[in-house]
Amino acid sequence: MNIEKKRRIKNLAALTLSSLAALSGLFWLVFILGDVLVHGIRGLSIDLFLKDPAPPGIEGGGLRNAFVGQLLITGMATLIGVPLGVLGGTFLAEYARGRRISRLISIVSDIMVSVPSIVVGTFVYAIMVKPLGHFNGWAGAVALAIIMIPVVLRTTEDMLSMVPWTLREAAFALGAPYYKVIIQVVYRGAATGILTGILLSIARVAGETAPLLFTSFNNSFFSWNMNEPVASLTVTIFQYAMGPYDSWHAQAWAASLVITVFILFITVLGRLLLRWRFGK
Amino acid sequence: MEEKEIEVKELNFYYGQVHALKNINLPVYKHMVTALIGPSGCGKTTLLRCFNRMHDLYPGNRYTGEIIFKEKNILGDDIDLIDLRSRIGMVFQKPTPFPMSIFDNIAYGLKLRGIKKRSELSERVERALRHAALWDEVKDKLNESAYALSGGQQQRLVIARALAVEPEVLLFDEPTSALDPISTAKIEELAVQLKEEVTIIIVTHNMQQAARISDWTGFLMLGELIEFDRTDKIFTSPSQKLTEDYITGRFG
Amino acid sequence: MTKGLKKNPVDFLFGTLTGIASLSVVVLIGGIFYALLSESKLAIESFGVFKFITTIDWDPVAEVFGAATTLYGTAVTTALSLLFAIPVALGIAVFITEIAPGFLKGPIGVAIELLAAIPSIIYGMWGLFTLAPIMEMYIEPFLQSTLGRVPGLGILFEGTPMGIDLLTASVILSIMIIPFTASVARDSFNLTPPIVKESAYAVGATKWEVVKDVVLPYSKLGVFGGVVLSLGRALGETMAVAFVLGNNHQITTSLFDAAATITVSLANEFTEADTDLYLSSLYYLALILFVMSFITLAIAKFFLLRAERRYSR
Repeated sequence: MNIEKKRRIKNLAALTLSSLAALSGLFWLVFILGDVLVHGIRGLSIDLFLKDPAPPGIEGGGLRNAFVGQLLITGMATLIGVPLGVLGGTFLAEYARGRRISRLISIVSDIMVSVPSIVVGTFVYAIMVKPLGHFNGWAGAVALAIIMIPVVLRTTEDMLSMVPWTLREAAFALGAPYYKVIIQVVYRGAATGILTGILLSIARVAGETAPLLFTSFNNSFFSWNMNEPVASLTVTIFQYAMGPYDSWHAQAWAASLVITVFILFITVLGRLLLRWRFGK
Repeated sequence: MEEKEIEVKELNFYYGQVHALKNINLPVYKHMVTALIGPSGCGKTTLLRCFNRMHDLYPGNRYTGEIIFKEKNILGDDIDLIDLRSRIGMVFQKPTPFPMSIFDNIAYGLKLRGIKKRSELSERVERALRHAALWDEVKDKLNESAYALSGGQQQRLVIARALAVEPEVLLFDEPTSALDPISTAKIEELAVQLKEEVTIIIVTHNMQQAARISDWTGFLMLGELIEFDRTDKIFTSPSQKLTEDYITGRFG
Repeated sequence: MTKGLKKNPVDFLFGTLTGIASLSVVVLIGGIFYALLSESKLAIESFGVFKFITTIDWDPVAEVFGAATTLYGTAVTTALSLLFAIPVALGIAVFITEIAPGFLKGPIGVAIELLAAIPSIIYGMWGLFTLAPIMEMYIEPFLQSTLGRVPGLGILFEGTPMGIDLLTASVILSIMIIPFTASVARDSFNLTPPIVKESAYAVGATKWEVVKDVVLPYSKLGVFGGVVLSLGRALGETMAVAFVLGNNHQITTSLFDAAATITVSLANEFTEADTDLYLSSLYYLALILFVMSFITLAIAKFFLLRAERRYSR
């Protein structure tokens, strides 16, 4: 076989293999999403959202407690995590712009983004559950907030850095103090980007399970009280899936579908916002 | 009369909807230097990149018309691009050494063609480096990274790399735009020497450069070939008003 | 800027506020390390370091704890998942950057991003109810009757295929990390200047030769960083493996056996730990995991930063 032919065959083989790899990526996506969809739709019902769980092994009931608990915990986490993240990112991109401390914190945040979430759970258990002697919703919210902070902080930093420096100079030239320049000009210029970062960070924590296992724990009853254990969809899914009852499994699938749709919706929304803002 | 190496006939080129080259007709004479000049955006680089079908790397590009090389239309679908590109080499605006040693950079094209024998590789690498007037400067550090060379040396390395596979035509796309005057002079001198062996087409924004090194010059504007003639004719008594305006610096 | 800080008190206040907020990440990282260290003090004092990581027993009744089994499980699942994921991820990156026609580039990119956005608990559900039965009924018996017959390889495929084992967990983990590896690899590939790629084409290289000889060498730092980043993800992933690994503290050569990783033990046992030493030993595992992933991520970051700096010129 001549060398030209060999090269051509090698080329074709490599290109085919990488196309297959890409196809396999699509395959897994369709497989997993399709599976969640098929199983999840079967378990969906109005009761799922409006009723609290039936006693173990008994048919019927719903996951109202877990839906509300999930919203409560995620909402509180957002309220704690987003301001800290946005302000922190502001420091890196504005007051400490170009300084060594800014780079250092940036790198630490990047590392923190990838700290195993279960480790965060054990940490919050140590500071918020053990001292109080019982699991509580606040601990869950704090654990999720800890995961959110570095994500929001880094996107805020990146988005603020993309606002042209001349815009700030123009505002300075009008005699505005720096904080006013930041709040009235820079934030406005970077608003879409920061919002996207916040959305993506919510998507990230809304599906987290591991950090909630030993913080907010779980609760079979409906509760608004964040000082008590609070149910969440994800922990409920874990518990129900590992449990012995078919009705539990069906509800776990339905909950999986709801949470997946919610997260993918937010993710896509974030991407669309970004594309709309930076038009590609 | 000179022998034609390439003949461009009724060439049109489109980037998607944009009609970038319009009805270009142009001969390229063998063992001559042909310069393509014109204001930026006139299509000179676009035309150059038709000769080795570089445009095929990106979607949405379309040619009509013919470019005849060795009695074949190289714009045809049956053309083997790999073969074509090894016969028509190219040198870019910026030096583009590959992330490997000096030796391996030169030997790259040869190895692709299946030459594995170390002695033959060494011999041909040396010959290419000598042709590119770089041998004396690098003969003691052939195994060092190509990034260690200066910009001008890197550009000559890239020329040597193109020469190593013994192409019939070399395309130069503003090869000195990133270089200092001394390196530029060396590259120009080299281009003149090289035409003994290869046919050269060079795109340049530098009119003095075109005047110094080329035998034939084509002037393009807005995708059209306004005038093509012997270089001395173009620069002393152009037949078109537009050419004259450009040469004398009234625009561009 | 600093001048403004001194002049305007509100500005000073706002600046300080942002500074405190940004320090929170440093405080948190430090706090996590300190809390894990102090919580595991009891276990560290009882078992030491070397003894803890080499002890195979994990016996809550006798109160003897060692990390060897969970470390082994973590190492095997991480290594296997990388082995499966890297070739596929690189293939995807090559496809997106070099091969895909324009109209496919977008959809494949989106698919990869969605795959990354699916929460790990969903992977766990899917793994337990869909993948594990498929592994048990088709793939594992097939592997056993083919590769299992190969001398030397046999010990990897012993026992009754149950689907709840190291192999299934590794497969799920690999599907989870493919998108991360692929997107970092894609970004690194994109750092290769188009003009250098063009000049490789101009010497008559094929697409594959351009990828192999120019793009990969050019982006190897970034790709390596991406692989290490994925390694960190695989080390710390909990829910995707918690469903299908069985949490069985044992060291086994067969990929068809249940096992435990650090994360899976934590998820399953943390709320059940009824003695101080048991809980402290679990914290000790968490500390080891934290240190391992911190080091891994720092290494990844180092390579990614170098890659960026080298080619952003």
